[in-house]
Amino acid sequence: MRWVRSVLPPVIVGVLAVVAWELTVSLGRIAPFILPAPSAIWKELVAQRQNVWEAALASGENALIGLIGGAALGILLAMAASRFKPLTEVSIPFAAVLNALPIIALAPILNNMFESTSSIPRRLVTAIIVFFPVFVNTLRGLREVDPLHQELMHTYAASGWTFARKVRLPGALPYVFTGLRQASSLAVIAAVVAEYFGGLQTGLGSRITSAAAFTAYPRAWAFVAGACLLGLVFYLTTLLLERLAMPWRTRLIA
Amino acid sequence: MSSVDINGVTKTFNQGRADEVVALSEVDLTVGDGEFVSLIGPSGCGKSTLLRLIADLIAPSTGTITVAGKSAGAARKEQAYGIAFQQSGLFEWRTVLKNVELPLELRGLSRPERKAKAEQMLALVGLEDFAGHYPAQLSGGMQQRVAIARALAVQPPLLLMDEPFGALDEMTRERLQSELLGICAQTGTSTVFVTHSISEAVFLSNRVVVMSARPGRITASITVDLPSRDDAGRLSPAFFDKITEVRQALRGDAAPARPAENAVAGTDPR
Repeated sequence: MRWVRSVLPPVIVGVLAVVAWELTVSLGRIAPFILPAPSAIWKELVAQRQNVWEAALASGENALIGLIGGAALGILLAMAASRFKPLTEVSIPFAAVLNALPIIALAPILNNMFESTSSIPRRLVTAIIVFFPVFVNTLRGLREVDPLHQELMHTYAASGWTFARKVRLPGALPYVFTGLRQASSLAVIAAVVAEYFGGLQTGLGSRITSAAAFTAYPRAWAFVAGACLLGLVFYLTTLLLERLAMPWRTRLIA
Repeated sequence: MSSVDINGVTKTFNQGRADEVVALSEVDLTVGDGEFVSLIGPSGCGKSTLLRLIADLIAPSTGTITVAGKSAGAARKEQAYGIAFQQSGLFEWRTVLKNVELPLELRGLSRPERKAKAEQMLALVGLEDFAGHYPAQLSGGMQQRVAIARALAVQPPLLLMDEPFGALDEMTRERLQSELLGICAQTGTSTVFVTHSISEAVFLSNRVVVMSARPGRITASITVDLPSRDDAGRLSPAFFDKITEVRQALRGDAAPARPAENAVAGTDPR
């Protein structure tokens, strides 16, 4: 019952919004080339499902590789920075600069560095965007250790490495996953947007630009819907991993 | 051989700075084997500081501390004592059993060995049915029992406790006091127990050490010999006599300060 009560309101609002959208467009208030009706987008999505699927796989692969690479780098550097104080002081401004960099603007430049059929620039863009939230959150988690835990481990005469493995890392996990949750959605956005700047024409982003260039707006929207679904899949997978990685939290919900 | 030997220990925090505090001044204390000693005194009297000195969590400014015949540092490295604080300090990501296993793990015991030992300790505190639970699923009293089981896991000759029952309700507190006495009797562990509560100190201890503040020092050492340490013991005249004695010792230097305080309050511009 509780499940129904939490799921029902957003579903009702969503359905009403789609109906309102459909009515507004079909009653002629909005020209179809500005905003196509949901029914038209749905028809395109069904007709193009094979293309959407393949494009989503191509973009998804880039997003996943970039996400894993950027997250791994973020976690490893955060571990190193938390271990050696001077490194923290040096790394935080660098990470901030990296974050302030309009990385999407770098995409065309990166494209020129590699051959036109290469997926590497897109994966690099994704990895750089993913790096910051993972690094910052992990570092915060690693530095926030319960002083009582610190004293206890001291009384057990635990070495620095043992302390890191048994207390710092598991204690930082909730923070790591906060970073990963932000990163998972960002990864898809980055991978799709990076395709706007040329290169291989296989992903969702290039499909959206080419459909829009041919004024096939419902088709462009169908690929946008595909990108949205891909982002959701990434986000929900991260949530699932979070549950699996921290069983002590999930057990408390019951 | 005594379990703890403290000789002329002084502890000054922030030495040489404007905010210098003498937390302990010239403290001597001996805890015999199997003895249960409580440290009691007003806040700021340095009782927790003294416990942390024994645990080698901080170093004394002057004086020597011997634990189980070794320097405090060597005793810590050998896990010659177990320690429990007011907060249980359990690791939320470890099950109850894994929490108790942790000190054994760090000692390098094999998996089956430490599991057997941890299960035995959980049985001792009556929590064998909760081995697979996570700490957050337990009540405060149960968490504190797990912390005690963890402190005892390596079967140390000495148990250090810093107000371990301070955050618990009165009923849970009394039950745990009785349990602790049973455990100490069973294991022959010496105990140094820091508390605010006079009745707790008298009920548990062979000896109550009374401390005063600014600078922290020992003002009295009262031997307690109750006919029995159970509910009947709590009602015995000897129990109340000792409570009165400890209370008087605690007031010993608090009483003269009071009129002066009142005088200041009277002229308070507020």
